[in-house]
Amino acid sequence: MSPMIRVQDVTRDFGSVRAVDSVSFEIGPGEIVGFLGPNGAGKSTLLKMLCTFLPPTSGELAIAGHDVAREPLAVRSKIGYLPEHNALFETMRVSKLLRFMGEARGLGGAYLAERTEWVAEAMTLQSVLQKRVSECSKGFRQRIGLACALIHDPPVLLLDEPTHGLDPLQVVAFRDFVRGLAEGRAILFSSHILAEVAEISDRLLVLQEGRLCLDEGLASLQARAAAESSTLETLVLRTVQDARRTA
Amino acid sequence: MTQAAPIAHRAGLVRGTLVVFRRELAAFFDSAIAYVYLIAALVLLASLYMNEFFLTGRLDMTPLFDTLAPLSIFLLPAVTMRLWAEDKKSRTFELYVTLPLRAGQLVVGKYLAALALYVIFLAGTLPIVAMLLSLGDPDLGLIASGYLGALLFGGLLLAIGTFLSGLTSDQIVAFVSSVAFGFALVFTGDPRVVAVLDGMAPALGAGTWLADSVAALPHYENFLRGLVELSSIVWFTGLTAAFLWLNTLVVARVRT
Repeated sequence: MSPMIRVQDVTRDFGSVRAVDSVSFEIGPGEIVGFLGPNGAGKSTLLKMLCTFLPPTSGELAIAGHDVAREPLAVRSKIGYLPEHNALFETMRVSKLLRFMGEARGLGGAYLAERTEWVAEAMTLQSVLQKRVSECSKGFRQRIGLACALIHDPPVLLLDEPTHGLDPLQVVAFRDFVRGLAEGRAILFSSHILAEVAEISDRLLVLQEGRLCLDEGLASLQARAAAESSTLETLVLRTVQDARRTA
Repeated sequence: MTQAAPIAHRAGLVRGTLVVFRRELAAFFDSAIAYVYLIAALVLLASLYMNEFFLTGRLDMTPLFDTLAPLSIFLLPAVTMRLWAEDKKSRTFELYVTLPLRAGQLVVGKYLAALALYVIFLAGTLPIVAMLLSLGDPDLGLIASGYLGALLFGGLLLAIGTFLSGLTSDQIVAFVSSVAFGFALVFTGDPRVVAVLDGMAPALGAGTWLADSVAALPHYENFLRGLVELSSIVWFTGLTAAFLWLNTLVVARVRT
């Protein structure tokens, strides 16, 4: 099965700083992949390249078979993207924002109404639909951002720190929701909390100073940790420290 | 999963542009600022005109269009300064440029929204036309030509302002640079400025050169005299298109 997300030897420099260094991986449909790493590891930069916001310095990225550099419009129509800072149009009413996001992605008529209703229900936004974005709490804003990312039912979801600002109950609800979305879809989400990633993901990618230092299925990682009478956290931490020493 | 095609491919450029246009126009009216701005600008323009009207007693709108040119230098950058700078500051720029829309659709959609606000402002001066008609028999051709000139001149200032807003994330910088650009466009055509510049370096003839090639005022004044010349229309629309094109390049390249 062809990958939904393909990252091939991708490097991104900002002046003399190398934010992402020769990273390669593939994600297939139905996979939920957690993207782990400390702040400044390059997670957001890689997600920004995948969503066409930043071009790579070198290497190739593709979404659902479309090259990110050559076919950015096709790529953007295939992705749902929740940026790290989740900036939204503050003065818009939530219902109008969802409508705008749908229309900008080519939806219209009954299908747009149906999708708007679905995301509003899935994200429990009914109580804030007539409110302005600026009047919504942080938790609601995060859910509005997710609703915007899902309005067009994309086959690829790129979520940068999606649980940021959610309370514990909302985090649990989010995990269940993301698991429910996985069928036929590739989901890549970043976080710096291992427990959260381990709860949702099938596979873990760990970035350390721009380099991919771990790419392994969660089941395999847990089995390794058990074999070493260790914990998943210790295992991942040791991998990161080894990568830091090697660098 | 039902997949929507990129709007730029499926329904041509127009639909995506209209989606951006509607959002941007609504954004102007989402707060009270647009209403306050429109009312204040109209009261100011009408007051200045009515003063002139009572002094001369002529059924002529030329003084209104004369006043509009220098006033537009300040009024229109206040409209355009937020168009891109606010998106960059609040990071909604990332939201915009990751939508399946071309840079040109975003630029034209935003520009048309600003132009629509300006048209609403111009429409607010129509009661003056009604007043003149009720008082006598004004030259309607001259009035129509003045409105066309005001539309083209304002359209150019809006395109310049939109472009300059795309270069910065600071609305004040966008405003000040647009005002400076507007000043250069208008006052390089003023005979006193031309005389001063020519007098500073007679051999260069810089004042005359600027008035002939850069200044908007001579073209604008053609319309105020009732002269609808193709060369002036091409001058305004050509420059407007050039600044929109430059804005498109900036938006497309800013991600690198």
